[in-house]
Amino acid sequence: MSDPAPDARTHRPRWPWYAAAALIVALLPLVFTDSYWRTNLIVCAINVLLAIGLDFILGFAGQLNLGQSAFYGLGAYVSTLLIMQLGLPFWLAFACGVAFAGLAGMVLSLFAARLRGHYLAIASLGFAVITYQVLLNWIGLTQGPLGIYAIPPPPPLALPLLAPIEFTDLKNLFYLVAAFAFAAYGLLDQLVRSPIGETLLAIREDEVSAASLGIDCRAWKVFAFGIGSAVAGMAGCFYAGFVGTLVPDAFFITESFTILAMVVIGGMGTLIGPVAGAILLTILPELLRGLGDARLIVYGVALTLVVLFIPGGMVQAARALVVRARRLMSSPAASVGR
Amino acid sequence: MLTVVLQQAMNGLVVGSLYVLVALGLTLIYGILVQINFAHADVVTLGAFAAYFLMHRFGGGYIAAIVLAFVVGGALGWLTNAAIFSPLRERGNELLPLIATIGLSVTLENAMLAAFGPIPYAFDTPYSNDVLRLGGIFITVQNLLIVAVSAGAIGLLYAFLKFTFMGKALRAVSQDRETAGLVGINPNQLIMVTFVIASALAGMGGAMLGPVLVLTPFAGTSVILKAFAIVIIGGFGNVEGTIIAGLIIGLIESYTTQFLNPGWIDIVVFAILLAMLALRPTGLVAERREENV
Repeated sequence: MSDPAPDARTHRPRWPWYAAAALIVALLPLVFTDSYWRTNLIVCAINVLLAIGLDFILGFAGQLNLGQSAFYGLGAYVSTLLIMQLGLPFWLAFACGVAFAGLAGMVLSLFAARLRGHYLAIASLGFAVITYQVLLNWIGLTQGPLGIYAIPPPPPLALPLLAPIEFTDLKNLFYLVAAFAFAAYGLLDQLVRSPIGETLLAIREDEVSAASLGIDCRAWKVFAFGIGSAVAGMAGCFYAGFVGTLVPDAFFITESFTILAMVVIGGMGTLIGPVAGAILLTILPELLRGLGDARLIVYGVALTLVVLFIPGGMVQAARALVVRARRLMSSPAASVGR
Repeated sequence: MLTVVLQQAMNGLVVGSLYVLVALGLTLIYGILVQINFAHADVVTLGAFAAYFLMHRFGGGYIAAIVLAFVVGGALGWLTNAAIFSPLRERGNELLPLIATIGLSVTLENAMLAAFGPIPYAFDTPYSNDVLRLGGIFITVQNLLIVAVSAGAIGLLYAFLKFTFMGKALRAVSQDRETAGLVGINPNQLIMVTFVIASALAGMGGAMLGPVLVLTPFAGTSVILKAFAIVIIGGFGNVEGTIIAGLIIGLIESYTTQFLNPGWIDIVVFAILLAMLALRPTGLVAERREENV
């Protein structure tokens, strides 16, 4: 939308950025060595997954999904129950959790395919409420409000020629979640820059016109929902193994609003924005810990102010700063030229 | 058995009439703006707390408390419109105002949490313990008052919409804003009036819900979720449909509590909502507005 020259940007090679980001991510747990900050790093990586998943649905396909907390919770509960009740190996349960969350997203959007805008927002909110209440009330399966305890972390990874990588170590667990966040980002980035991304944008901007060009809007919305909710399910699988306990309250609808705040404050419709938003809204409340419960006030105020004054979020603000900096740099040169 | 059914019907109508008060506000705002005000929930909660503090800290009467909640709600509605909906109207994006009010709601809820704490307040009124007996069923004077005040407010609102010039103008704008503008109706003023009326009703609903519900900073959220279900089941923007759907949801809630399990209320209500969206998204009462469907 606010991208000045999309073509120039899409064809610029991305690998230097990926390499730089990977280097920074690799260095982070070496800089922050205490378990408190390493824990926060893992929370950041999980929130990045949730935010980019939601942004793919909201920012690119234009569907306001308030059910992200439900897909997150489904991924967490399905994978954990498969591990703890049926004894499935972690990675198989992980695949099932991701697939289940993705399928749930597809079913919801198929179900609500005729709906747009506010109706879809309320339908997805309703889905989140139902999922939360089922987790809370199906005590035989989920233990309800008592929660599930002693969930093991992902099993050690045995690579050839190396000592097995233990995920009881927070540093290794962070690398694991961050690697998946990178992979998900790379996948979504490829998708949004492919013709599929343009198709989704066409649906977002004007569904009727898109349909008149022969685009099957329903199928593409189901597709976007499936991908975005599967990524949230992936975050849920890691959350369970990381925290070690599951209670339904972790997946109440306020979690959907928190994820929404990350996407909007970062900049919806860009992929890097939600990453920045997720990191900012995870770290900032930790820095403001003295405020206690006021953590969520920060989210709420920031969300409202960003929508009112910088709807493009941090990405829009950063672009404006770059433009201003360029103008400052070039103005003396321009006057010399004259 | 019959007395149980009748008793639960009575309880359902009490809660249902309060849901109608809250849901009517959402529907009025949707009718005129085609926008959802998520912070409507916190208008309910603030109304309840305003009434509570007037009675329990300053020794006010219950009727005065209801009036105060009405005024507080109206003021908050004016503020929400002036601060969020009015500035965002020019942008023409249908989702931005909803997202902004989600932010406002998160802010208000957590500000109330910081101010009032998470422990539920016991909101007793002088009428909570007066029980009347009608045949085999019991009703407290408090509940009778709730039904009477809600029915009165809903009746007045209905008369306002049907018979006054402003009410007719309001319906005109919600049917066709451009044509209404052509005949000299100022939509901005009407939108402001709608917000004040809608939120005043919600605040008043809060003052009456306080003694019925568990009064915490999150009380409004559980009500608003049902109010969303009600406005969709009744047909967004449709006043008659909202009244019918609100009473139905109240009845479903009390029968679910009696015959199934109180934990299932939200599951039942939202399952009906999703079924309704899939099968008949225009709502119970047929509606002309179909652009979102």
